[in-house]
Amino acid sequence: MNPSGPGGAGEVILALEGVSRIYGEEVEVRAMDDVSMEIRAGEFVSIVGPSGSGKSTMLGLLGILDLPTHGVIRVRGVDAAGLSDAERSRLRGDAIGFVFQQFHLIPHLTALGNVETALLYRGLSSRQRRGRAMEALEQVGLGARHDHRPVQLSGGEQQRVAIARAITTQPGVVLADEPTGALDSKNAENVLQIFHDLQTPDRAICIVTHDLHVAGSARRKISMLDGHIVADEQLVRS
Amino acid sequence: MAVSGLTSRKVRTLLIMLGPVLGVAAIVAAIGINESSKGHLKAKLQELGTDLIVVNASAGFGFGQDPVIEAAAVGRVGRLPDVVAVTGTRQMSDIVTVPFAGAEDYYRAFPVPVIATGLDLPSTLEVPLVSGRFLNEFDESSGARVAVIGRDLADEYGYLRGEPRTIELNGLQYGVVGVLDYVLLEPSMDSAVFVTFRIAVDDWGLDAPDPSRLYVRAPVNTRLVAQEIPVVVSLGGPDGANASVPTDLLDAQSQVDESLNNLTKMMGGLALIVGGVGIANVMSISVIQRSSEIGIRRALGHSRGTIAIQFLFEALVVGVLGGIVGAGVGAGVVWGVAEQRGYTMVLSIVGLAGWALVSVGVAVVAGLYPSTKAARLEPLETLRLG
Repeated sequence: MNPSGPGGAGEVILALEGVSRIYGEEVEVRAMDDVSMEIRAGEFVSIVGPSGSGKSTMLGLLGILDLPTHGVIRVRGVDAAGLSDAERSRLRGDAIGFVFQQFHLIPHLTALGNVETALLYRGLSSRQRRGRAMEALEQVGLGARHDHRPVQLSGGEQQRVAIARAITTQPGVVLADEPTGALDSKNAENVLQIFHDLQTPDRAICIVTHDLHVAGSARRKISMLDGHIVADEQLVRS
Repeated sequence: MAVSGLTSRKVRTLLIMLGPVLGVAAIVAAIGINESSKGHLKAKLQELGTDLIVVNASAGFGFGQDPVIEAAAVGRVGRLPDVVAVTGTRQMSDIVTVPFAGAEDYYRAFPVPVIATGLDLPSTLEVPLVSGRFLNEFDESSGARVAVIGRDLADEYGYLRGEPRTIELNGLQYGVVGVLDYVLLEPSMDSAVFVTFRIAVDDWGLDAPDPSRLYVRAPVNTRLVAQEIPVVVSLGGPDGANASVPTDLLDAQSQVDESLNNLTKMMGGLALIVGGVGIANVMSISVIQRSSEIGIRRALGHSRGTIAIQFLFEALVVGVLGGIVGAGVGAGVVWGVAEQRGYTMVLSIVGLAGWALVSVGVAVVAGLYPSTKAARLEPLETLRLG
């Protein structure tokens, strides 16, 4: 059994309890094997490991985009597997924000429209959606570019729009999958700094990466290998 | 989201709308043209009357003779119990008609029908005179050279109402005593000259005042009378005439038209179905193209149901727009055909709305598969993690 992470300040946002994820029936592939860990509010966590170590599987399970074969995933204490798809989607939208390596912005919407997408179907008026989306864009420094489409933005700007989209719902945790992977070094640094700025006592940041520099900028580093957590260490930042 | 999804790819949206547009337009046009035609036909039948029988002489005895009905037979037909009116006519040929002598160079001579007729043609056909009078007993008995002309011929010759005019037939002067109104049953009479049988015998070499055609009015048992007439004409000998009810012919023609219209409706229905298949295909491709969008929306907390409803709504919008445009195009076609054929346009608004709704239904059904496919996409498959 893998050890759980060191306790941090704040509420447990995400918890894996003895989670395994097995693919295939005739030939089983154990992408994750009996993993237990917690992510608390206020933490800045990096998950590292070589290709095939289970990082992506971990991200999918943490984000309840996937369900475990064995074990329990709790989001703010709620067992995700026991929910219907609609309930799970709602929980995901409320508690978790996502940032992906390829940005995944909707090309025919403006920056503002992309951020507003996260606020749809929540009982907000269009004015309320617009207001909150603008706040998020301004928080990442793109308020003036709100009416630009993704094709009119640089890679770094597109990733900042994606970050704004991730935080506009005030999630308890932001999960980022290789957020600097498609950026040059300067933009990568800018984005990394934005993640650090977004970390608050009420919000955790969790970055999945194979970049050791990015991993080293976190305060807690979880190392994975062959579907197991092999190390879970607190990092001291200078 | 659905509207932005459609407007972001306008050409694709227009292309998938084509199916419903063409299908609805074809069906609306078929129904509308049929209804307008029926309306016109109904008016025409009412105008003609369904009690008019036309009798044509069939092949006579001997070669080279134009078939005729002997004059005595006209009387026999008139004495049938249900017959209220009968008039014989005979068209003559090779007569050049000009409005006045010396006008051959100015007016082009054209083959105007010159018809010898009985005296009660207007009452039998129930067609009034526009001006003057028809041929009468005195004209017949005296052999006076008088004529009645059709309305189109009067316009052609610039005939003024009440104006004393003559026309020249092969050099012989005839006084025009009246103008006959339009004859719906026989449009050729609108350009004809009508003379008495007496004049036809005296001036144009007819052997006898035997008509080649009879017009018979029988308000009661019309079809039965039509069956009796050939027997009465031939007195049991070889058939000397054949009788038909023109409105029956028109009715039969309308049945053929109805069959064509049904075929057009079927083709329209087929176009709708094909259009629906097109919608399903193009939207399925769209789901694949937009898989990244679907994945991120799932990650943002949109449920499968929400995703499905969005794509279904896009199909619905296509159906609504396609139905409205198709109904408009179909109505336009009906208007154009009605204008060209002189019909009164008949188009039911309820029918239009109904077919537009059918288009919506087809589009929604077609959208079910792609919307289900979109909802079933797993975000992990589309977001390319790692």
